[in-house]
Amino acid sequence: MTRKLVLLQVAVALVCLSATMPLAAMNPDTGPGCGIGKIAWADYRHQKNILPQSLMATTNVAFSNTIGITFGVSGCTNDGKFMAEQKATMFAEINFENLSQEMAQGQGEHLASLATLLGVPAEHHAEFFAMTQERYTSLIQSGETTPVAMLKALNAAIAGHPVLAQFSNNR
Amino acid sequence: MLVSGPVWADAAGDDAYLKELIRQARETRLSEQRYWHLLLHYRQDLTGGYTSEVDDPGFFLAPNGKTSPQAELEATLAKFFSDELVGRSRQSAQCAFLARYQWLKSQLAIDDRRLPPQRCERFQSWLAEMNAQSITVIFASAFMNNPSSMFGHTFLRVDRKGQTEQTRLLDYTIHYAAQVTTESQIAFVVLGVFGGFKGYFSALPYYIKVQEYRDLENRDIWEYRLNLSEDQITRLLMHTWELDNAYFDYFFFKENCSYHILSLLEVADPRLHLTDQFVAWTIPADTVRVITEQPDLVIDIAYRPSRSTQIRRKRELLSHHEDRLLLRLIETPAVAEREPFASLLPDRQAFVLDLASDYLLHRLATDPEPSAAARDLQHSLLVTRSRLATASPETTIAPFTQRPELGHKTSRVGLGSGWRQDEFFEELSVRAGYHDLLDPEIGYTPGAQIEVMSFNFRHYNRRDQTRLERFKLVDIVSLSPMDSLFKPASWKISAGYDTVNRADCRYCGNVNVNGGVGAAAETRWLRHEMYFAFAELDANYSHAFDENHRVGGGGTVGWLADLTERWKILLSTTYLRYPLGEDSDDWRFSFQQRFTLHKDLALRLEFNHWDRHDNEAVLSVQVYF
Repeated sequence: MTRKLVLLQVAVALVCLSATMPLAAMNPDTGPGCGIGKIAWADYRHQKNILPQSLMATTNVAFSNTIGITFGVSGCTNDGKFMAEQKATMFAEINFENLSQEMAQGQGEHLASLATLLGVPAEHHAEFFAMTQERYTSLIQSGETTPVAMLKALNAAIAGHPVLAQFSNNR
Repeated sequence: MLVSGPVWADAAGDDAYLKELIRQARETRLSEQRYWHLLLHYRQDLTGGYTSEVDDPGFFLAPNGKTSPQAELEATLAKFFSDELVGRSRQSAQCAFLARYQWLKSQLAIDDRRLPPQRCERFQSWLAEMNAQSITVIFASAFMNNPSSMFGHTFLRVDRKGQTEQTRLLDYTIHYAAQVTTESQIAFVVLGVFGGFKGYFSALPYYIKVQEYRDLENRDIWEYRLNLSEDQITRLLMHTWELDNAYFDYFFFKENCSYHILSLLEVADPRLHLTDQFVAWTIPADTVRVITEQPDLVIDIAYRPSRSTQIRRKRELLSHHEDRLLLRLIETPAVAEREPFASLLPDRQAFVLDLASDYLLHRLATDPEPSAAARDLQHSLLVTRSRLATASPETTIAPFTQRPELGHKTSRVGLGSGWRQDEFFEELSVRAGYHDLLDPEIGYTPGAQIEVMSFNFRHYNRRDQTRLERFKLVDIVSLSPMDSLFKPASWKISAGYDTVNRADCRYCGNVNVNGGVGAAAETRWLRHEMYFAFAELDANYSHAFDENHRVGGGGTVGWLADLTERWKILLSTTYLRYPLGEDSDDWRFSFQQRFTLHKDLALRLEFNHWDRHDNEAVLSVQVYF
């Protein structure tokens, strides 16, 4: 958990800093955009670290206190492709363990969701699932593979796939 | 919606039009309408005046907006002419309070040429990102190891267009929660109960919530899809957007997550009267009950089993031989390469491997510092699994606990009659909440007891005395059965007042605090049986004892069994030794049984024995309301 969320925090921070600046110059009203998003994620990590199973960690505790922080809200986005990549990265960071399992099984809702984020339409999920299972050992080489490395390998595999290549972002 | 055209309005013209709108609003008494009250979260108080539940001053555009619907309405109209940034979200009033703007615009037939609409790009891109098709109420069942989630939790999911059931994880949720500002657990409870935290709405992807509840806390999730029209959904989202400018003082018992979720649904469809039904406290299961009771509101219900439920259910499908292989596999993945595992059929191999990796995932998720070795173990299992190149067999996971709204109601009143020592009595019992081990279990977490504010009044006939026999402030028991995979601890804690009966002190009041840690196991021989044992500490304060107190410890063992669908029994015995205060000990026996007559009606027969000579038998009828 811990390592994952640290990475996540960094990822979100990078997204938002790099995307906010030019936008901020055009429009001073970026509101509760990504800067706060970064802080929210930092809090999330913080809470999970200190008292994982105890009072602080869960349900009725907010770690983000705004509605406006979602992908696609001003300050976070002006480029669809860039945003899609960031969404996939965040999803893979948070769900890496579930994704690893479902790739080996060749099915599952996390895997279907990732396929969607990578631009593979639902009617071609079956091919995507089969590919992740077949190429599992090259996609996830050890327990230490990072989510970003896994995504990179996955994108390369999509680009080289006879059917899925048409949906590849790498073109 | 956005009409751009030449804007002729000048200050004088604005002023004239504003006056006209205000006059019109006064004539039609717009500020007295329910929808305005819903948007501003006004509640009528005892004097007939109104106060908003929102505590963030930035949510109001009039200085006295919190208590004056009329002043707030007029100030809102005035601000609509300005592009000044308002509220925490720093937008123009038209954009920050979009639901107000849209409603007032339709009610007053606002003329776009005289009050030009502003572009709300941030909202539009947020709305596009939400991409709402429908709204689903999500109930995460109780999690006993966290006081703030013992009663369950509810939030909304915004179902996106063009999703399949497989990609629901990508939806956003609307979630209300307290922002906790203390690390002290005692302060957490006190502040949480008495409104010391601020509650905020937030929008997070559903996969984060699913991971938190289903994977980390092992809570079953129920999803209730609502039948809302596109307009209703847009209204709900516009109001949610407005709430980015609000916080509410968070009250754990009433103004909690579930309460505020209901208020959003009322904004979507003002014909719904949901929050009115909660006066003193709002229990998440009750809010689900209210939602499902509305005609045609819920159109679909889905179940998302927790990871531990999945593992336990899948394990029931293993043969004894496969189960032994599973237990070896989670320690030594190489077992999968050899006989006898290798001679299982491929789909059985897949099934056992999936179960093994489910379990390792559970261990990784619940271990605060998972080791590299644990990850490597999982990796080797998954590599083996991927080589099978077969799909996982379809398994339907049945819940251990039914849906929350099917359970008994959460308050209880009982009438009974009985005998204690040598006297007959009549008894009236009232319990604010919520569920004890013997109450009908449907809809509640098995083995989880939470009793809050429970009173027993008795009239003893011979003495002609009426007294408070027993009072429980809280009495919580969490029985979590262990098996060869899961080893959770069980625990209990209680604080209250009861009656001791001694020769020199008949019917003496006693203040008692008790807590214990233990273990539980279960079988399904008859229907469902649980066995438990606790080591415990027990402290008492009463005039009945020498030095007015006795403090000590001991242990309890017990058996809880469903004999039939309606009939359940609880047998337990406790030994306590008190070295502090009055030097004494106590053997207790208790035999209790419940027979369900109807979902909200049950009979109970109890026999209790304590202090060597003190016996009690009670027969009562109990109604849940």
